[in-house]
Amino acid sequence: MSGNDTSQVLGLDIGTSRIVVARRAGQPSPGSKEDWRYESQLNAFVNIPFSKITASTLRQESIPHTIEGQEILVHGNESERFAGLLNAEIRRPMTRGMLDPREPESLKVIREILTRMLGPASPGASKVCFTVPAPPWGDAAGDLTYHEATIRQLLTEFGYESSSINEGLAVVYGELQDSNYTGIGISCGGGLCNVCLAYLSVPALSFSIPKAGDYIDASAARVTGERANRIRLAKEDSFHFNGFHGDKIRQVIAVYYDDMLQSLVSALTEAFTHTSNLPKFNRPIGIVLSGGTAMPAGFRDRFEALIRQQAFPIPISGVKLAENPLYSTAKGALACALSE
Amino acid sequence: MDVRNRNPIPAPWLELRAFKIEDPLERLRYLRCEMQKLEAEERTRNSWRVPIRPALWICALGFFGFLPGPRPAATGEIRARTAPGAAASPAPAAPESFRPVWMVDRTDTTQTYSNGLRIDLTYAVSNKPRLRYPVFATAGPASPSSYASLPSGIVYHTTESHLAPFEQQQNGRLKELGRNLLENIRQQKSYHYVIDRFGRVFRVVEESDAANHAGRSVWADSNGVYVNLNWSFLGVAFEGQTAEPVTPAQITSARMLTEMLRARYNIPAGNCVTHAQISVNPDNMRIGAHVDWAAGFPFESVGLPDNYAEPVPSLWAFGFDYDPSLLAQAGGRWPGLDSAEDRLAAQAAAQGLTPARYRTLLQRRYREILKALDSPNSAASQGGN
Repeated sequence: MSGNDTSQVLGLDIGTSRIVVARRAGQPSPGSKEDWRYESQLNAFVNIPFSKITASTLRQESIPHTIEGQEILVHGNESERFAGLLNAEIRRPMTRGMLDPREPESLKVIREILTRMLGPASPGASKVCFTVPAPPWGDAAGDLTYHEATIRQLLTEFGYESSSINEGLAVVYGELQDSNYTGIGISCGGGLCNVCLAYLSVPALSFSIPKAGDYIDASAARVTGERANRIRLAKEDSFHFNGFHGDKIRQVIAVYYDDMLQSLVSALTEAFTHTSNLPKFNRPIGIVLSGGTAMPAGFRDRFEALIRQQAFPIPISGVKLAENPLYSTAKGALACALSE
Repeated sequence: MDVRNRNPIPAPWLELRAFKIEDPLERLRYLRCEMQKLEAEERTRNSWRVPIRPALWICALGFFGFLPGPRPAATGEIRARTAPGAAASPAPAAPESFRPVWMVDRTDTTQTYSNGLRIDLTYAVSNKPRLRYPVFATAGPASPSSYASLPSGIVYHTTESHLAPFEQQQNGRLKELGRNLLENIRQQKSYHYVIDRFGRVFRVVEESDAANHAGRSVWADSNGVYVNLNWSFLGVAFEGQTAEPVTPAQITSARMLTEMLRARYNIPAGNCVTHAQISVNPDNMRIGAHVDWAAGFPFESVGLPDNYAEPVPSLWAFGFDYDPSLLAQAGGRWPGLDSAEDRLAAQAAAQGLTPARYRTLLQRRYREILKALDSPNSAASQGGN
């Protein structure tokens, strides 16, 4: 790849619930706005019993699937539809931001999804920067090595030159250009909330907490007796903060959403209070929220209210929601790859 | 508690500069690169600072004992509280790789190299041999922190000699002027190499010896500060004048010569600089005593990065100043002056001193070093000690 050819440079957000690829639509002319494109797939699958008719139908309909012995694994975005049709629970290759060691199909499914999204690299070097979670706050057991090495190996097999970036830092790279990449980036995803404080593009403190979208889904499912997938759909379709919810599912979601937010703000306060040698900022810094779990209306306001209630150790100028919360992590990963 | 925690170097001057870069990706690239440099610099400094901190204090106390003036304690702070990312040497560059260049053939009067370089030895002459020369730390006592014996850099000059129009009809005159120039340079032992207007490369002073090309001058790299570069840097002069463009043949030859010298002595690209960048006048404590190549040196064509962007060490290490006429010579803009001023201001702020006070202390240290260099019996004197 020549030094200026950026068409084969990709940003890849590998989240617990979604995989998003960001790429440049073309070489921007000087002064023009960057045109970046995104593609998103659910990082999930359902297994259905094998039959020749089913396999043939899936093939004719171009539905991504893999045949594994007497099972067919339907993966990506289509998995949601099939889960609804078959009243089956969606399975995930990843849990809490990392490959799920208890899920036997995890590698296979991730490989299939990435193959479809990325395709083989062009001849010569093609670069991809992928996101990795930060270690969990207060849990030294979080070992990211296997997860990161496995993803890197997959990308190498596809012919890509790969590098990794912390998810929270990717949010900073994607959203905090106007503050010289200084501030706090938070990605509220399915498995984790990833936090990164950066100063002039350098990560100063990063960590994750394991309460995020899946925690809300699983907890609400336990209380209501519903499937977690149904809870997730209700949460993504019509849930909002600061409102009255007539049905029980949304009431329960509100309770666990609030619990998640309280945990996130407490962890932030504790982390920034007890970490020594944080950089001294000469002005208040901004916080940017991203990720699917940050999308419900009112999330930003509720988060900011909680932050303002705390004696937060760093002066905060404001809290904003990413322009496109689902894509900002991939956007930051692409910015990282393009700025190397 | 398992968190990834780094402690970025405070760099307010970078923040200001980054805001001037409009393109967000370019700005991100710039910040990542500069912050990495600062971190590398900090690591290098920490690698020696921690174990010898008590010794530093002793040295610092000794150093201030030397200093005249009413506030020795204030200068003490410079030594003890070095500003993060500030008063240190420039970031140690990643080891540079050099394309091998070797001598293919030699006769009594020529040398030919594998990259096409051909050196004419007709005017070669010896001078005082370079046995060793001192290198100074960026702060602390006026005594050298180390010594070196091989060339550490290259200084590019113009000869500022008489020129004839570069036309075929003038061929005889052009050759005659070149010949006279070389004779004169040979007598004065002014440069190690001269590239005439036809692109011919002449060795004058042997590389193993000092040449009288840089006089009062300052440059710095990750090893420390070089003062009076006759000994430490090789001098390469283009036959020409500041106002006259050099010929394409000269640029081609300069590229090959630079490549050969860098490969031979492992000279970092950042140490290939112009006379105007290094020249100082201790009488008025201003830089730019000589202004050849104050602007327009074809760094890229010679295979080098744009070293005009390098913070000028005489400013940030020794508190030199400059007047507007130098800026005019440089075409109105010289990024290395701006970044050196930023650096000096940051260093002063980190010491809790005003820039003026801090500059005074730096200048005092320079004069101590100069005094030691000029003293024939001093350990800091150059050449044959």
